[in-house]
Amino acid sequence: MITTAPKTAADAVGQLKQISSVVPVAAIVLGSGVSVLDDLHDARVISYQELFGLAPGVAGHSGTLTIGHTEDGPMVAVLRGRFHLYEGYDWPTVTLAARAIVEWGVPNLLLTNAAGGLNLEYSVGDLMVLTGYRDHLNPQLKTTGLLPAIKIPPTDCRNSLSEKLLEVGEKLTLGSKEKSLQQGVYAGLLGPCYETMAEIEMLRRLKADAVGMSTVPEMLSCDGSATTAAAVSVITNVWRPEEAMGGHEEVLTASKNASKRLDRLFRAVLTELGKA
Amino acid sequence: MKLRYAKRIDFTSSYPDFEHFEQFNQKVIELIRDKEKAEVVIVIDRAYGLAPKHDGAHLLSDHLNLSGDNPLVGPNDAIGQRFPVVNNIYLSAADTINQEETWTMGNPLSKLRSGIAAGVKPGLRLNDEELALAYSMGAHFYNWNTVPTMIAAAHAGLKVLAIAVPEGEQLSDAVVMTIRR
Repeated sequence: MITTAPKTAADAVGQLKQISSVVPVAAIVLGSGVSVLDDLHDARVISYQELFGLAPGVAGHSGTLTIGHTEDGPMVAVLRGRFHLYEGYDWPTVTLAARAIVEWGVPNLLLTNAAGGLNLEYSVGDLMVLTGYRDHLNPQLKTTGLLPAIKIPPTDCRNSLSEKLLEVGEKLTLGSKEKSLQQGVYAGLLGPCYETMAEIEMLRRLKADAVGMSTVPEMLSCDGSATTAAAVSVITNVWRPEEAMGGHEEVLTASKNASKRLDRLFRAVLTELGKA
Repeated sequence: MKLRYAKRIDFTSSYPDFEHFEQFNQKVIELIRDKEKAEVVIVIDRAYGLAPKHDGAHLLSDHLNLSGDNPLVGPNDAIGQRFPVVNNIYLSAADTINQEETWTMGNPLSKLRSGIAAGVKPGLRLNDEELALAYSMGAHFYNWNTVPTMIAAAHAGLKVLAIAVPEGEQLSDAVVMTIRR
């Protein structure tokens, strides 16, 4: 296990302040294969290696932070990739980027992830705004096992930012053929294998709508801070008993295909946040 | 799918022809990943806390990993790509029907019940409330070693014939004859 990141959140903030004297109105963390805001104006890019002393090791994560602004929007920081517990990183390392965003004073953190759909009404490519999450990946559970986590209800994570995502998403789909945003509960599991059918059934009984291996640590890092965090899951597959399950390649392809819708959504939300 | 050439792992220290381990550890992973030709891992483990109407030895049909851990956790490039799909890894009695070892004996594996195991941290004993919760999540019993063994096997591209035996019980001679080397 990698027990300490080479750099601290304070180190990272020091570097970010040298790159940008303006604190962005939002930071966006992109998960596996998700690609948005590729054309920021006045973009300045720094690698995770330089910023955090580590590079992500998962396919679909480029490991860069870009600061810039959209054509008519405010300053934003886009973080492409994240560190995962399943890679053997400890909690401080997995939450390093989110803690740096909090310490930098960024008021909004938008998290994305690729997630397997549990809700049978979902389709591949759907975007789900998190209204709640289940923490089944916390390292504390290595001591106790998952039963204590299963006993408790999902954490409600609805806030002004998730409401903004839903409101803007609704406006974007109004009068178009595009499907409305889904909203639901995300179950964060340790991974790095996918779930068995029995586990999927268990998560459905626990009222989870999507399952992935990230996001929860970052959400928890913003608790009690001045940074409001919200998250969007890209539904990359829907687990059905009669269908064979795909692997990581399928996840990356589905994420890429959903990225256009997510790009439109985030640009519109950023514009709204810039007005506030 | 030759049972004859399977890797054999016994966590109950009861059966000859099997590699014996007290609990799942790095040596189990090494055995699974070694280059010896095999398509199947046969695992015998204890079953604890059997649900009502579930008695005797079981063939695992599926599992819930409730351990809070996973044997594949680690850097992404050390043992090849992660993210194995872990469905349809457990073999059923029907999957073994064409084996000489099974049909000559009337497929004794088909006499075993099948069930879903909750994999918990080795040494952990569930109390009544926890057992009820595990049952409500779909488990029929819990055990300590089969789940990480299966995940490591799935990652290595192997199928798993997993048998869970309650404490104080033994597999029938017919089953042992079927799965021995």
